[in-house]
This record gives sequence, C-alpha cells and structure tokens, in this order.
Amino acid sequence: MKVEHYNMAVRAGMTRRRLLQTAASVGAIGAFGGVAPALAGGHGALRAQILQIPGVGKGSPTDADWQKVGELCLEATKANVAEGEFAGVELTFMGLNNQNLHNFLFRGFLKPWEAYTGAKINWIDLAQADYNARLQQSIATGTVDYDILEMGAPFEGDTAGRGLLDEMPDWVKTQIEADDLVGYLQPPVGTWNGKSYRITIDGDCHTFAYRKDYFGEGAIGGAEVPKTWQQVNAVSKALVGKTDPLTGLPAHGYLDPLKGWGGFGFYFIANRATAYVKHPDDPAWLFDPETMKPRVNNPGWVQAIQDVMDLIATPGAYPADQINADPGTTAFSQFLAGTGSMLMWWGDVGSMARTSDTSVVGDVAAFGINPGSERRYNSAAGAWEETANEAPLMAYIGWGVYVTSRVSGDEKKRKAAWSAAAHLGGKDISLWMAAYPSGFQPYRNSHFQYEEWEAAGYDRAYVEDYLGSNADSYNHPNAAIEPRIPGIFQYYSVAEDELAKGFAGQYASAQETADAIAAAWEKITDQIGRDSQIALYKASLGL
Amino acid sequence: MGTQIFHDTETDLRHRAAWWVGRIAIYGALGFWAFICLFPIFWTITTSFKMAPDVMKGNILPWWDFRPAWLGWRSLGLSPDTIGTVSTPRDEFMKRFINSLVISVSASTLAVVLGSLAAYGLSRFSYRFGPMKNADISFFFLSQLILPPVVLALPFLVLYKSLALLDSRVGLILLYTLTVLPIVVWIMRDQFAGIPTELEEAAMVDGLSIWGAFLTIVLPIALPGMVAAFILSLVLTWNEYFFAALLTSTHANTLPVMVASQTGSQGISWWSMAALSTAAIAPLVVVGVLLERYIIKGMAAGAVK
Amino acid sequence: MAGSGDLLHVVTNDNLPAGRVALGRLVMNAAAAILIAVTAAQIADAQGWIDLGFANWRPTLYAYVLWGFAFCWGQVLTRGEQGKRALFVLPAALFVVSMVVFPLLFGLVIAFSDWNLSSPDGRRFNGLDNIRQMWGDPFYWNALLNMVWYTLAIAVEYAIAFGLALLLNAQIVARKFWRVAFLLPLMLSPVAVSWMVGKSMLEPRFGPIARLARALGWENPSFFASPEMARLSIMVMDAWTFIPFMMIMILAGLQAIPRELHEAARVDGASGWRTFWEVTFPLMLPVSITAILIRIIFKLKIADIIINVTSGGPGGATDSVTSFIFREYRDRSNVGYGTLLAMVYLVLIVIAMTLLMKLADRWMRPRH
Repeated sequence: MKVEHYNMAVRAGMTRRRLLQTAASVGAIGAFGGVAPALAGGHGALRAQILQIPGVGKGSPTDADWQKVGELCLEATKANVAEGEFAGVELTFMGLNNQNLHNFLFRGFLKPWEAYTGAKINWIDLAQADYNARLQQSIATGTVDYDILEMGAPFEGDTAGRGLLDEMPDWVKTQIEADDLVGYLQPPVGTWNGKSYRITIDGDCHTFAYRKDYFGEGAIGGAEVPKTWQQVNAVSKALVGKTDPLTGLPAHGYLDPLKGWGGFGFYFIANRATAYVKHPDDPAWLFDPETMKPRVNNPGWVQAIQDVMDLIATPGAYPADQINADPGTTAFSQFLAGTGSMLMWWGDVGSMARTSDTSVVGDVAAFGINPGSERRYNSAAGAWEETANEAPLMAYIGWGVYVTSRVSGDEKKRKAAWSAAAHLGGKDISLWMAAYPSGFQPYRNSHFQYEEWEAAGYDRAYVEDYLGSNADSYNHPNAAIEPRIPGIFQYYSVAEDELAKGFAGQYASAQETADAIAAAWEKITDQIGRDSQIALYKASLGL
Repeated sequence: MGTQIFHDTETDLRHRAAWWVGRIAIYGALGFWAFICLFPIFWTITTSFKMAPDVMKGNILPWWDFRPAWLGWRSLGLSPDTIGTVSTPRDEFMKRFINSLVISVSASTLAVVLGSLAAYGLSRFSYRFGPMKNADISFFFLSQLILPPVVLALPFLVLYKSLALLDSRVGLILLYTLTVLPIVVWIMRDQFAGIPTELEEAAMVDGLSIWGAFLTIVLPIALPGMVAAFILSLVLTWNEYFFAALLTSTHANTLPVMVASQTGSQGISWWSMAALSTAAIAPLVVVGVLLERYIIKGMAAGAVK
Repeated sequence: MAGSGDLLHVVTNDNLPAGRVALGRLVMNAAAAILIAVTAAQIADAQGWIDLGFANWRPTLYAYVLWGFAFCWGQVLTRGEQGKRALFVLPAALFVVSMVVFPLLFGLVIAFSDWNLSSPDGRRFNGLDNIRQMWGDPFYWNALLNMVWYTLAIAVEYAIAFGLALLLNAQIVARKFWRVAFLLPLMLSPVAVSWMVGKSMLEPRFGPIARLARALGWENPSFFASPEMARLSIMVMDAWTFIPFMMIMILAGLQAIPRELHEAARVDGASGWRTFWEVTFPLMLPVSITAILIRIIFKLKIADIIINVTSGGPGGATDSVTSFIFREYRDRSNVGYGTLLAMVYLVLIVIAMTLLMKLADRWMRPRH
C-alpha cells in the first residue's frame, strides 16, 4: 500500500496489525460464505465486501468505487428484472449535485443498472439552494420534466398532496425490505392519504457533535460534556481566551450558524428551541394546530434566540466572521477543520469525520443527543415548567426517492423507474451509503449492526458512539418532527432573513425579532390559504 | 573626436534621474496591479491541485508549501489516471462544456450580426417607426440591457414551455442574443459613427447598392469593432447563470450552473471547485490572449470625436 | 432620393415597377394570412373547439418567423431603396419586439397578482396590494439605499481604470503581457469569483488576504462582520471583476488621441499634470461618460456575488435589490411580489438612466 494511505489509516485509529487482521477476516468470511455471527444470510459476505470499497481511512471514494458497489448490489434487481428488459427506455432523474455526493453517487451506482437493463438515465442536477425553488416552479407551471425524483420528506405536501407522485407497487416494497426501516420513518411518513410513495434512502436528525479533547479531567472545557443548552452557553463563555489542544489556535465553544442558507438554517435555531418548546404532551411546536398561529414568538423560542444573542454579545465566544457563517461553514470549514468544540448537525458529520478528506478531527470527535434544557415552556398552560426536557429534532426527516406520475401511463417505463429507485433504496447499498460520505445517514435497523462496521475498519468505540447517538434520537419518545405542509421552506427562509437582522442588531431585542418572524409567517399562511394549511398541518401530525 | 565636448548639464542629469524614478513608478504600478489581477487566478489554479489539509492551512506556493495532488482534477475525470477510463463526472463536464461553447458562440454571432446591421442603419439613416425616431429606437435597444432578468423569468418559463423550447440550446441562444444585443449596438454605433460617409457615397456613385457598399466597403473597416463586440458578448454569455439555471435541466445545461452547484450541505470540495473554475475560464483566457489586440482596436474609432 | 435627415446623401433611382410593388404586397399579405390562420387554429385547438392534435405552440412560432422574413422581403420589394435601408434595422427590431413584448405583458399581469407557487389556489389578481406591500417593506428600501452606495463606488473604479489606461498607454515594454493580464479578471465568472475569492481567499483564518492583514498588523481580520466592512469587501470583489471593462474603453479612447496634441501642449510648456487636465481629460469625456453609464447599468444588476458570499448579510447590509428579489422569488416562491419589485426597480432605473443620459448629453453638447 502507498505510504500516504497507510499514514491516513493510522490517523484514523488503525494499526498495521488491525489492518492486516481486517484483510484476513474479509478473506475468511468470503472463504466461508459469510459465517460471522449476527450477519444475516449470505448477504454478510457481500456487505463486508462492499464496505471494503475503498476502505476506511483510504480517502474519499471515487467514481470507480461507486460503479463497483453498484455492480455488486445488483442482485435484488436481477431477481425482478430480466437482462435488457428496459432497452429503449429513457428516464430523467432529478437530484442534488453536491460534490461527490447525491447525484454523483447515483450516477455511479446506476451505471451497472443501466448496462444490465438497457435503460438510459438523463440527469437533472440541482444546487441544494436551488432545489426548493425549482421544485415549486416546476409544479406551479406544470413543467414536471422528470420521472424519478430525489426529494426530502417535507415536500410531500407539495407533491403527493397534488397528485404528482406515482404510488409504489408492492413488488418494490418487497425488494427494498421496507419493514427494516427505523420507527419514525415508518408510515405515516412517506405516505399520503394512506398510500405509499417513498423509497427512503436517508434518515435525518440532528445530533450533537463535540470534541472530546475539550472535556474531561483537566481539559479546558470542564470535566463534564454539556447536557443542556444552559451548560453549553456557560461552557462557550468560559472558553474565551483558551487555546485549542489540537490546532493551537483560539478555542471556541458552540458553533451557531448566524447566516441563513436557503431555509435550512432554520433547523439550527430550532435545535436550540425544541428543548424549550417541544412538550412531551404536545406533538405541535411550530404552530397552533387549530388556528395555525405561529408559536415562534412564545417565551420558549424567544429564550432560544436570546441564548444566541448572548453569545454574540460575548467577544471571542464565536470565531471571527461568524455572522457570515452558514450551516455548511460551521460544519466543514469550522468543526471538521478543527475550530470550535460543539456543533449540532446532521449525523453524517460522524462518518465524514473519519472518511472525508476535509476532516482533521477524526480521532477526537464524539457524538451525543440534542442537548436538553433545565426548564420547558408549556404552550397550553402559557407558562414555564421547571422540569428537565429533551427533544431531538428530526430535521428534514430524510431524503427519499420518489417516482412521478409522468410514468403512470406507461407500464414499462413505470417498472423501469421503480426498479432504478429500488436499486438505490436497497438494503445492502444503503449500508455502504451510511458508512461512506454520501450525504445520507443510517435509517434502517440493519445499519446498526456494529460488527459490520468494525469489520470494515471503523473503531468499535467510535461507531457505537456515532451510531448510538443517531439511534437514541430516532427512537426518542419526544422527538420533534417538522410539519410536511406546502411551503414549509418559505416559512424557514423568511425566518432566516429576520433572524439575520436580529443577530446583526437591527432589532432591539430577541422578542422583537421573534415577533417579526411571527408576523411574516402569518402573511405566508394567509397567502397559501389558512384553511388548507390547518387541515394539512393536522394531518401531518396525525391529529 | 577624442575628448567629449558637450557635457550633460545639471538639469539634464536631474532629468535623467527623474526619468528613472518615473520608470520605476510606472513599472511598479503595473506590476502591482498585474499581481492583483493574476493572484486570484493563480490561487484558483493551485487550489485545484491541493488536498484538504493544504486548503485549510491556506498554503500558497506549490512544491514549496505543499505537494500538488490530482484530487481536484480526478473528481472531474480529467487527471492523468482517469483520462483514459470511463468517468461519469467527465461525461457531465464535457456535455456542459460543449453546451456552453455552442450556446455562447452562436448567441454572440447572432447578436453581432443583428446588432451591427441595426447600428449601421441607426448611424446612417433616420427612421420613423410610428412615433419612434432614431433616438427612441436606440434607446429601445439599449433599455434591454437595463431589464433585470428576474422580471422576465416566469414569463419566459411559460413561453418556452408552450413553444417546447425549454431545455433546448436554441431557446437559450435566443435569450442570450437578446441580452447582449444592446451592448453590440452600443459599441458598433460608435464604430460606424467614426467611419466617414464619403466612402459609401463614393461606392454608390460607382453603382453599388447600399447593401453592396455596406458589405464590401464598410464591413472590413468595422471588423475590429465587431470582433471586440463578439468577445465581450462571449464573455457575458459564457458566464451567465440565472437563465441557464432556470430554463435548462438535462440537455442544455451550461458550465456556470455546474460551478454554482458545487456547494451543498455536505461541504465544499475546494479542489473540485477550483478545478472546475479553471476549466471554465480556460477557453476565455485563450480567446483573450489570441484576440486581445482586437479588443482595444475595436473599442477605438468614433469614441473621441 | 435621400430621406430628410439621412446622414448618407445619395441620389438613387427608384422607379419601382407596379408589378414588383404588387408582388411585394402579395408576399406580405400572404404571410400575414398564414400567421393569422395558424394562430387561430392553435387557439381553437387549445380551447377545445376543434381538435387538431397540436402538441405545443411551435407551428405559430414557425408561422411568425415566416411572416418576419416575408415582411422584410416585402419591404424591399414595395419600397425599394427605402425598404433596403429599413432592412438594416428591421431584423433586430422584430427580434427584440417579439422576445420582449409578450413576456413583459405577462410579467405585468403577474406583478399585479398574488402568486405563491406553493399555494393550491394559483395566481390571484390582487390589484395594488403588492405595491402597498412594497411601500412598507424595509428590506426593499434598505436594498435601494445599498444600491446608492454601490453606485458611488464607481467613482473610485473609474479613477483606477483611468490610471491603468494611462499606464498602458505610456511607453512600456511587454505591452501585450500587461494588457492580457489586466484583462483576465473580466473572464472569471461571478460565481467563481464569489467562491474562490470571497470564500477561499478571504477566509478569516488562513486565507491569503487574512494572512496579509495579520502581517500588516490587523489582529483579528474579518471581512464580513461589520456592515461597512462587508459592503467594502463586496465592492472590492465586484470592482476587481469589472475594472478591466472600463479600462479597455478608456484605453481605446486614449489611443485615439493624436500625438500632436500632446506634443503641442508640451511645446507650449505645460507640465504633465496640466497636460492631463486640460488636454487629455476633456477629450476623454465622451468615452468616460459612456464607460461610466455602462458600468452603472451593470452595477445596478449586481447579484451573484452577494447571493453567494453573504446572502445579503449581515442583517441586510450588503443586500442589493436584485439579490433581495432573488431571495424573495426563489426561496419564498413569492413570484407575484417579486416580479412587482423587479418592475418597480426597472422603472426607477429607466428614469434614472434617462436623466443621466440627458445630463451627459447637455454636458457634452457645448463641446460641439
């Protein structure tokens, strides 16, 4: 092996002995046809094999790797589709174009599928910030020019609610083994009016990532890892002036993104707020279900905004230019690059810390659940309760692959579209996507078999920590799920704008900022149609 | 002639020194500004050869601060080890590159043809289209430049959908021609104003029609201006993002859309973006280097009259 | 016969035979008839009165193009010499009119309606409500104020461009190298500039410019934290991209000034500075004004850099009208309101540009 690869593997926590052991064990498993315990069926060998491509600590995967993995996972498709069955069929796939993720992967995965089935796929690549706008535009002007769609669950209201999606055939449900999905992703998520539309490829929740070299005996952040937002703020203030043990630069505490990003930035202030406003007895936390009156300016939310403003007012608590840091910056230019010690982000920060080229914190990153709070706000009672509360945010719910009703009339095309989608949603290929940089997090119960990750080269303790934090959030009884109503991202986007003004000091107080957001939200609700929003909000909550 | 008879006086010597100081100042200023112009481009090119830790540390000089690697170019499928293989990113990149090329060149050519004709007409004859006279017609053309693209976004979307021009090269070419036509008209009008009318009059006396005079006499003289307008249109249409993102999806995408979508919720691979930006700017640089003298020559003429 | 006011004075023999004129009229009328027939057929088909199986409106497009050609040809046939002259301007005029008129009209309809793309109701006419909303929208007025600041920066850009043009016009070696180098920033797309310069080079920890700032004594360089600094950074990036544009226009003008004028001034004893102010600068006035006007037009449309680097922040300090409309239009799918904002902006710019151009004309007129 090349010296650089070895060095990288060492950096990722592997020793030469472990590396040889892994190679030997893979060979052994392969020789004995998947005998290792807790690995189901003959799949075990396949799953271990694909996890070795390209190998943990060997740098980011490339196009050749994706094609190889796609080739190996073609068995499920071969069971349902004859070779060359879709010759002459042309499909259009719309998805994201994030570098080396999403569509990049899909193209590689589907190339062997195209070769086998004879179909051809045309690609529509979108920047993440353009996604929502493009979707809305194509729906409103009737220019739906794609057959397969990678979409987030929040947009199900806009699409399924308008009859733009094709219902999932039963053979697909069997092929993807849909019952393997974790609890919160089972129906009603992915369904509309009782019909299934979604092939899940991702589970989304925000987890708490922190630097374990900041906490512990004699460490600069204190002995205990913060468990509540009050503690997080206190630690962030206490870290001013100290030095980061890894980089030697100034130490920082929690990284809040103070700039918006196409609506996604709202999830980050929501992280802070759910601990205050998501009450275990109440599924709603953004709006009042009966009236669609926004709750975003109730005392709980105002407290969350105030927490951020407190840190802004503390010089040195945030890195320089934090007001220009959007969520991507906080994760990639800051946390993974060694600046700051605490971050809330989607779980794939975990796998990226170890396998991505951009990370220098692979050895010192640790994971937990969304910090809670020492007190919570009861919206029904209209008062604070001095009870501890925890409420992980299932931000964005998760990406899925859907098929549009454009193919509903053509049986062959419909089967081809669902086959391509099912290939991407397959059980084994999804394990690879969870373990390597892909843009997707684990979402199946079969993803949490720690032995497989360990055999692939992940450090066992690391994997239990990272996956464990996801699992804890997925199964949490007080998880906060966002409403799947039309236009949800418009609410987020206008909130980002008002928050930016508040953080820059143009509103007198957190309350005034929150009131501005509430006023803007009311306008949007009226514009979209209050009655229909109320009905859809209640339906998405299961009320 | 052995001994020197004429000596430099004090004033002459001081003048010499002043001349040197002047020279140093001029070259200093030139060098300083050249550095400012070229450093970001140098930075882009070197970043495409960096690996992650190098990007994070902001190392500047290759081989001095950091060891160059092919990561960035490999992600585009253009590195030495991937050039021979099948590469899906490279297919995408080449498709968009060709699209950008075809669309920009066609739109610029069409704009130069239409615009030059119109500019010539406006500079030679006085028209009356209804209530509009020459000055109004000129202003009508130029006002297209002022139009913010977002005003026409949705109307164009609907219009192109009904004409089945969405996601087609022809559609984008037509739209880009519209956006750069005003600049061509503006530049060429000044050009033609600088060409004396006696030339055409002489030709017409000799029996040529007005079109004949235009094509054989005036056009060759105005060629530098047309090249300048062409290059300028090329640059503007090559880098256009808004309508490209709006009106294309699979078949007619252009490069700027690809560059802009390098950002996402999973971070930025700076080396890929740098590689892509370098590849996107390369053709324009080639055009600039080869045709640079036309630009200056072309912008001259009627400017100072 | 020369038309009155024509700059080209030629005598032409225009005895048009009646047959030719009739042919011309026939061609034009036939094409017009085809166009009307096809359009009517497509409207009828779209409305469902008759079923001709049209998939889209392409046939009307082809008929229109045919009519355009026929019209031009007909003009030449019927009006002879005058027709040929009109032919210079006709294609461009027809092109622009057809590409702009329908979208603009439709745009006006959208601007006065309430259209949120997520709304199941679709487009609803709402009269002047959008205008009332615009009047009270703090983001919009903030953006307009920012545009004033951005436009004022053009004065500095102009000075720098002029200086560069003077440098390039002087006696220097390796002229081509300098010219190409100075021209290159224009070629970089705004998106690439916003990422490679705005985010990579201006990165506060390790970016080269931050390191330079630290070397020069600025403790904690941050280019986008305070509103003024953020605006300045955006102005600098935009200036870097566009100064070459003004520079080449001015350089072209400088090169057109005959050498004799400079020499005459020197013989008269004028120093370099006075030569500049009293000879060069006044002669460059027309070019300068053209360059500044075009630069203002481009500056008023600035959007890409702002959207990508600061999203209009901090707190709207760097927001331009176009970037704000972009956010309103794309992120909030509020296309009715967004289109109205753009229309109002267009009207404001047109008024401003007309005033500026009239001023410029009056300023230059005494020279003639």
